[in-house]
Amino acid sequence: MNRNRQQAEIKLKRIFGFDGFYDEQWETIDLLFQGKKVLLIEKTGFGKSLCFQFPAIQFKGLTIIFSPLIALMRDQVKGLLENGISAKFINSEQTQEENSQTIQDAINGKLKILYIAPERQENQEWIQATRQMDLSMIVIDEAHTISVWGHDFRPAFRRITNLIQLLPKNMPVLATTATATKRVQIDVEKQISNDITTLRGRLIRDNFELFVINVKSEDEKLIWLAENLNNIEGTGIIYTGTRVNTEIYSRWFNYLKINTTEYNAGLDGETRKKVENGLMANRWKAVISTNALGMGIDKPDIRFIVHTQIPASPIHYYQEIGRAGRDGKPTTIILFYNSSKDNKGIEEDYKLPKAFIDGGRPSLNKYNKVINAVKDEQLGECQIMKATNLKQTQVRVIKADLIEQGIIKEVIYGQSKKYEYQFDAPELNINTFEELRELKLKELESMLEYVNLNTSRMKFLCEYLGDMIPNKIENCDNTNLQKLISNPKPGTVKVLSDFRETYFPILKVESRSSNIVNGIASSYYGISNVGATLNRCKYHNGGDFPDFLLKLTLKAFRKQYGQEPFDLIVYVPPTESGDLVKNFAEKISRVLKVPISHNLVKIGETQPQKVFENGYLKRDNVAGKFTLNNPEQINGKNVIIFDDIFDSGATIKEIGKMLTNNGASKIAPLIIARTVGGDIKKE
Amino acid sequence: MNEELSYWLALAHLPKLRTKKKNEIIVRLFEEQKTIIDFFHFEPKQWKDNYQLNENEILLFQDAIKELSNYAFMVEDLLEQGYSILPITSPDYSPILKKNLGRTYAPSLIYTKGNKAIMKEISIAIVGSRKADKVSLDFTDNVAKIASEDYKVIVSGFAKGVDKQALDSALKHKGQSIIVLPQGISTFNSGFKKYYKQIIDGDVIVLSTFYPKATWNVGLAMARNPIIYGLATEIFVAESSNKGGTWSGVVDGLRKGRKIFVRKPNFNEKNANNQLIQKGAIPVNAKGNILNYEQQININQNVVSELDPNDVEYKIIEFLKKGGEFISKEIVDTLKLDWSSRKVSSFLKKQSEIITVKGKPLKFSHKERTIQSQQSLF
Repeated sequence: MNRNRQQAEIKLKRIFGFDGFYDEQWETIDLLFQGKKVLLIEKTGFGKSLCFQFPAIQFKGLTIIFSPLIALMRDQVKGLLENGISAKFINSEQTQEENSQTIQDAINGKLKILYIAPERQENQEWIQATRQMDLSMIVIDEAHTISVWGHDFRPAFRRITNLIQLLPKNMPVLATTATATKRVQIDVEKQISNDITTLRGRLIRDNFELFVINVKSEDEKLIWLAENLNNIEGTGIIYTGTRVNTEIYSRWFNYLKINTTEYNAGLDGETRKKVENGLMANRWKAVISTNALGMGIDKPDIRFIVHTQIPASPIHYYQEIGRAGRDGKPTTIILFYNSSKDNKGIEEDYKLPKAFIDGGRPSLNKYNKVINAVKDEQLGECQIMKATNLKQTQVRVIKADLIEQGIIKEVIYGQSKKYEYQFDAPELNINTFEELRELKLKELESMLEYVNLNTSRMKFLCEYLGDMIPNKIENCDNTNLQKLISNPKPGTVKVLSDFRETYFPILKVESRSSNIVNGIASSYYGISNVGATLNRCKYHNGGDFPDFLLKLTLKAFRKQYGQEPFDLIVYVPPTESGDLVKNFAEKISRVLKVPISHNLVKIGETQPQKVFENGYLKRDNVAGKFTLNNPEQINGKNVIIFDDIFDSGATIKEIGKMLTNNGASKIAPLIIARTVGGDIKKE
Repeated sequence: MNEELSYWLALAHLPKLRTKKKNEIIVRLFEEQKTIIDFFHFEPKQWKDNYQLNENEILLFQDAIKELSNYAFMVEDLLEQGYSILPITSPDYSPILKKNLGRTYAPSLIYTKGNKAIMKEISIAIVGSRKADKVSLDFTDNVAKIASEDYKVIVSGFAKGVDKQALDSALKHKGQSIIVLPQGISTFNSGFKKYYKQIIDGDVIVLSTFYPKATWNVGLAMARNPIIYGLATEIFVAESSNKGGTWSGVVDGLRKGRKIFVRKPNFNEKNANNQLIQKGAIPVNAKGNILNYEQQININQNVVSELDPNDVEYKIIEFLKKGGEFISKEIVDTLKLDWSSRKVSSFLKKQSEIITVKGKPLKFSHKERTIQSQQSLF
């Protein structure tokens, strides 16, 4: 180890090609050489990675970097390999064999640097392997995620901080983040060590040009972007608040022949990687994404970032826009805010983030359900879901909280994970939940403050993050820049309404073991009057589904299946809504001139699918429950399967399987409305 | 405390160093008010001068230091899964084990899962052959039943035969048990499933002194025997042959000066119980009572008891009459009773003249005194 800066910089030049360290970088590195623990808070683009990469190659053994960002792992490993440094990563994107090989390399001392996701600490192969590694340093990247007070808190990091406290006293530890409020900073310090040095840098990004565009409807956002996106220089990212919006926006731009693509965590790993690579190569004008994209992507020239929804807090916002303009050149940052009010006087764009806060934690009753189930016997995650009829996402939130509070533990027996109640378990403490909720509401209020601000926006963001800036900052629409306003042209309004009439959600149900193909719905349930109409007919005696739905559904059919010939149409036998589906199917049959079959029947009682909160129970509910009265009718036929609402798809898939077994050659789903998570609640 | 655990594992699982030497280091650190962390970061010269480590031992510790971070990963994983890691300096470490085995044999570290307070109660071990006769199993059931009703804890080695019978009987009679494993604690999968309810209800604690991932082998099973004896206040032998684990365990116990009760066998039995009695074990009858006093005890049981100043129950009531609220442990300590705290609590809860003050742990006071003290408020 070389604590002489001059000599270290000679090495730096040779290996990394840089002339010298910034003072803060050297200060950090020097502390790590002394076996100290350091928290480094510096903005994106500062060069935090060098602060651990350089000492890592000076140490004798292995440096482990816990990082929640797969894209970052990939980028950094690539960069290190190019500089001749042996580095690898372990994450869910690689095959198990690749990960095992990496572990072997680490054990055999073939690696200097190993990136790993914090969740891996739950993996027994990894834990076993750590027994044999020669460790020199531990790094926690994106360290704000270890604090519940930070945005993007990751429960898996709790185990990493426990680990840090158990490490030998002279083991160097570096925690880094670009975004930590004072409160998060103190929390991170406390969790890592009472003997930690914190170094904090300036957060100002003066190449940003910050704008807020006030609109009065969702349509105005689509229209403004249609009219202006091509006028913004370079390529960038458009963040939407929900997954379904990534689809709608990208279809819209597609319709307008503006070159974009969509990205969200629902896409498979390969597609995500393809989009990330395409983003690096400027393949599209914009990538439409949830906030899953961009963290840790080392692209210097993201020229603009547009938010169509407000993020949960100014910290989220700073973090998300922080991914742009690393090269220091002018970068456009736009935030839309729909300030129209509903009949209760609540602003439209306040609702989504508020709903995330309200829905962030399941009810107390659900916590008790899980506690009682686990008190009875050791259960795995899927068993808990079955025993409690709770959604996987909810079970995961509850589990994490119960583990955090020491009420249950996750125990590994052989290959399976079981959850066990603890003998001396404390009572569930809901005060911390309340406190967190209060904090999140306050943060959301601060985000609104940013929207309605009439002073320097960058100054507001920096000060919110604990970086008090004495001088003026002029780089926004409140200081030196012209405001952007929404003023829809009638022509564009018409284009948008045409688009709406041709936009139909795809139903992804294809699988290898079934002859079912991806289907089509006439609309999303929630974003048009379709859902409301169905609801009125089904549950409030509104009579048969009206003809405008027939028109729309047939239009969707033509769009998806064109003039393809079909032999038969069958419909899903109802659970509770009488003959509505049958009558509608008969109308479709008449128009398409495809004969209808009434032979698809239920052979067991099923509950309405909406009663079940999770896919396991929905699948169990319908498994083996459908049959055909005269199966020979279906053999070798192309069949349309019709239903009114598509939720998890479990029913359609089950019927597809049954029809396949009876020899159907093609099964094509046609649906009136597709729901988006939680549109239809239990009454 | 937790931050020391990686260091404790490094010490406890240090190969080729006797338990005695490890415990001497711990005692020395305690006397000098130093921690085990300090110890590992001393210079070799200090190890040599202050802790009398020889060259080989110094090399051992230098290797152990390199493994500290590896142990950190292991400790984190064990704690996360709900196992407790108790160094000999921990207030939760079994005081009976420490007293019985002393610094020469008491393990520097134990792993447990379940209610740690069980280790502080009066306990008995019933040991014997894996292939015991019915008469021995009946004896085991009798003794376990009486002990459980008396709120004594049953220590079981979880082997077939007598060990298993002792555990089953204790649980059947709503007693508490310590299961002492012949393997590492994280390899007891089926047992944790089987005794899940009893563990979370606080009636069973599982204990191991071995490396957590170690699987069963004969060596560990033998090494476990002295731990069973060490955890027990009293030892009962149901059946022993003249070789094997029970035999060597009892002989070892007698040599260490332990009082060991052996079931007096019938004339036609083929076992080595009588040989153990000849070696100094105390003969007991089928109910576990010492033979010489059998009659006397039978007589006592038929007498309707009057309150007698030496009677434990009388002493407790009189003590509470003097005023104040006490937890049962304080009562046991003050009156130097040979009852367990649980027995005292259970007795007091049934007395109409006693008020139970809710809380954890429960407190007790006498009605007369409580009313008086309330009156004095006015």
